[in-house]
Amino acid sequence: MSSRKKVLLKVIILGDSGVGKTSLMNQFVNKKFSNQYKATIGADFLTKEVIVDDRIVTMQIWDTAGQERFQSLGVAFYRGADCCVLVFDVTAPNTFKSLESWRDEFLIQASPRDPDHFPFVILGNKVDLDNRAVSAKRAQQWCQSKNDIPYFETSAKEAVNVELAFQTIARNALAQETEAELYNEFPDQIKLNANDNNRNRDGDNCAC
Amino acid sequence: MTIEAANSLLPARSIWYIDIIVSNKSAKIFDIYRIFNTELQEEMTNQASPVEEQEKLLEEALNVVKVQAFQMKRCLDKSKLMDALKHASTMLGELRTSLLSPKSYYELYMAITDELRHLELYLLEEFQKGRKVADLYELVQYAGNIVPRLYLLITVGLVYIKTNTNLRRDLLKDLVEMCRGVQHPLRGLFLRNYLLQCTRNILPDTTEAQNENEGTARDAIDFVLMNFAEMNKLWVRMQHQGHSRDKERRERERSELRILVGTNLVRLSQLESVGVDDYRRLVLPGILEQVVSCRDAIAQEYLMECIIQVFPDEFHLANLQPFLKSCEELQPGVNIKNIIIALIERLAAFSQRNEGNVNLSVVLEDGKQEEVQLFEVFSDQVAAITQSRTDMPPEDMLSLQLALLKLAQRCHPDKLSYADRVLAHTDRICTDIQQASGRNHIEHNTPVFKELMKILKLPADHYKNILTLIKLQNYAPLINRLNQPGRLMIAVHLITDVIESDTTVSSPEDVDSVLSMVDVLVKDQTGQVEENTEDFVEEQGLMARLIHHFKSDSADQQYQILSAARKALQSGGVKRIQHTFPPIVFHAYRLAFIYKDIKDQDEMWEKKCQKIFQFCYQTIGMLVKAELAELPLRLYLQGALAISEIGFANHETIAYEYLSQAFTLYEDEISDSKAQLAAITLIIATFEQINCFGSENAEPMRNQCALAASKLLKKPDQSRAVALCAHLFWKGAKDGKPWALNAETRALECLKKAAKVAQQCMDGGVQAQLLAELLGRYVLLRERGCEALTTNLIQAIIQKIREELANLDQSEEVEQVTKHFHNTLQHLQSRMECPDPDSLGYEGLQLA
Repeated sequence: MSSRKKVLLKVIILGDSGVGKTSLMNQFVNKKFSNQYKATIGADFLTKEVIVDDRIVTMQIWDTAGQERFQSLGVAFYRGADCCVLVFDVTAPNTFKSLESWRDEFLIQASPRDPDHFPFVILGNKVDLDNRAVSAKRAQQWCQSKNDIPYFETSAKEAVNVELAFQTIARNALAQETEAELYNEFPDQIKLNANDNNRNRDGDNCAC
Repeated sequence: MTIEAANSLLPARSIWYIDIIVSNKSAKIFDIYRIFNTELQEEMTNQASPVEEQEKLLEEALNVVKVQAFQMKRCLDKSKLMDALKHASTMLGELRTSLLSPKSYYELYMAITDELRHLELYLLEEFQKGRKVADLYELVQYAGNIVPRLYLLITVGLVYIKTNTNLRRDLLKDLVEMCRGVQHPLRGLFLRNYLLQCTRNILPDTTEAQNENEGTARDAIDFVLMNFAEMNKLWVRMQHQGHSRDKERRERERSELRILVGTNLVRLSQLESVGVDDYRRLVLPGILEQVVSCRDAIAQEYLMECIIQVFPDEFHLANLQPFLKSCEELQPGVNIKNIIIALIERLAAFSQRNEGNVNLSVVLEDGKQEEVQLFEVFSDQVAAITQSRTDMPPEDMLSLQLALLKLAQRCHPDKLSYADRVLAHTDRICTDIQQASGRNHIEHNTPVFKELMKILKLPADHYKNILTLIKLQNYAPLINRLNQPGRLMIAVHLITDVIESDTTVSSPEDVDSVLSMVDVLVKDQTGQVEENTEDFVEEQGLMARLIHHFKSDSADQQYQILSAARKALQSGGVKRIQHTFPPIVFHAYRLAFIYKDIKDQDEMWEKKCQKIFQFCYQTIGMLVKAELAELPLRLYLQGALAISEIGFANHETIAYEYLSQAFTLYEDEISDSKAQLAAITLIIATFEQINCFGSENAEPMRNQCALAASKLLKKPDQSRAVALCAHLFWKGAKDGKPWALNAETRALECLKKAAKVAQQCMDGGVQAQLLAELLGRYVLLRERGCEALTTNLIQAIIQKIREELANLDQSEEVEQVTKHFHNTLQHLQSRMECPDPDSLGYEGLQLA
């Protein structure tokens, strides 16, 4: 069984293109923000150690491309996630409307053990801007209707609520991880001869 | 740790090129042999299996990973590092497969690298605690197979760098070179992707290093560019492997794998200490050199787009020219259009966000910097590219113009000349297209046609003002590049815009320009194609609505506008002017009323009114010449009413002329009995409303009407029309003064004659209806003061109606007549109960 002291949490950030996923992660991990827009392609992660209830945990935060065409290899990285962060832009209502499909897509692709209780966190980003178009109330209502998902209003630019949100993310992911460990008994079958199994490696017969 | 110590950690330096093995140190012989052997064999048998097979293979591999990962973690818990490494190596061995498709391989790779992170965390913790494992970097290189060996090497290298930044520069260099050992495209791409992922946060990112061994951003750039070049080579090589029959599948797989290559560019864009300057000097040239020299269309198209997406706007702005220049050098198969459009759209959006405050300076050939406009740069480069790439399909050339037009409109709203320049250029392209096809027009529904339509619609939708379109000199000529159906589509679009945006066209020159822009609706085109009548009528209806938007606040100007409109529209032929002239005429009548309103300010108003009615007279005359009758008749009558009401000098003669023209049309041109009744009714009603006639003009008119009424073919029509004629001879008092031309006996004669004719009708129901209507007319005229219509006469009609009704069987019609009759009786009843003191009463009338 994996050691109790070293915990690795996998967190996936999803949301439409341009809502600030990369910026949120950069603010949290590097305490930096840039106004320049650079599209993310594929998926990439950064790690950061945080302390949750006196435990040191390593968060592995996956930043993803909001545009589908930049995920040409599929979303295999969803697997094994401990928490999923859904981000929208409070100034762009369509990004809020997309949350539902991002959530569904995640549950289908990641197929977590207990989809009804899988931890999500919603971030309404860019609250520093004036032209707000999605009210906090509307966002909260939606979160409540989805099994009381925690909701934070953030600004990656001004570092509003970013730390707090990620603390919650870590805590909820940790709860999920601990729960998952209960199931994580011995793997199904152990082939003692796994090392020298004879599966066809298309002619690669070298003995190493 | 000293440099020497660091170097001693790098034992087996094997540098690989595609076919030649170069080893700069004593590489272990068994390594080289094995690598060479395995790699070559596997490349030759690279084949993916069908879907179910894939799932099975993946599941098997994932099971091995699960087991080995479990063992590895257990060993780590027990601090048995060597055993853990062995399990890790076995787990990584699964990545040596050649049977998986890119997507399956990606899943496997994800599962394995997720597990590897536990090893990394363990090592990191051990190292940080000072429990350094001696020669680990060297140790893992004894792993038998190259793929697991290099994954382990990267993992360990990462831990070394994290715990001792002095090793950074050399280790990065070593790792990126060692990865050359895997030349199988799929495995190599993923291995290098792992290298990129692991080094993400440890790349040196400062302009000047405290210690040269840590490296600077320059080293990071070299590292990533080298990895990029190698990955791109692997990726491009996929294209040339295997059977030609698998080309489609291969290209699909390449397309799936492209993000791995693109991630290199992402990494470069993440280097924060790389500013515009370094980007210009080091990064962009490095990328472009690789892109251009790989001579692979798929790679070029993707990577150029990738550059646009991952680097910030400011970088693009500063390097437009080198980027666009490289576009010229790309392979013929590359869809350059998409690349340029992507760049234009990105920068246009950026410029718009910054409200056009985009500073753009360009280094000229003589080394001087010059401020230029975004549009200018793109315009020049697009022209150069379209010229140099002779293989570009014409529709793509037009798509580029469309993108330029968008740029001009969004970023330079104050410079209409830019938009016009694009249109001029588009026109030139169209000339070439027509020359090549040998046709007079751009053919309908071809890709070229569709692009041209977009170009024409864009300014219309953007400016939402046809007056702006007029200012674009090259807009209208471009419409004529289309054939008739295409022009119709644009014309309808333009007019709909005018109506929706409620644009006012307020000068005769603008009217001319607008009408010439929708010329296809104004007159027949050369080689006119007959249209569906319904569509035609709808389009002309739109034209009529357009004319209502031709208005000026100045009355004199308005007159000129109407003249200009009529002049332009009169060539439209009878099928068009019947739709377009009525709004002009009504506009003109309204204008005459305006002159009446401002007569205190304009002493020429009477002359001007005369001129207006002359203008209308001619206009209606043209409709008559076009052999129309009912429409001009109504326009004449409407005119007569207006003239009488405005009352300018000499108006009686002109009103008489209008009315008599209407009457002439009635006599000469209207033959249908229903139309006749409707026309005579209108003429009588008009006469009744007009108060300007003296007896000289009134007498012939009312006699002619009465005569015409009595000559109607059908008895019921005759009865009704003759009854109406009573109004020609009796009008109510106006302003307390009775009408001078009242002739009560003749009014009575009309009603009597109408009653007589009614009684000649064979159908009792019709008779009752006509009499009931007649009763109403008696009552109306009596209440208007006509004493000749006595209560006795009214009593007699009531009696007659009762008799008729009594003889009729019940039916819906009879019921209606009865209701009508009773309503009239009720009216009389109430008048008898409370008489109107100003009008004649009904003493002695028996209603019961």
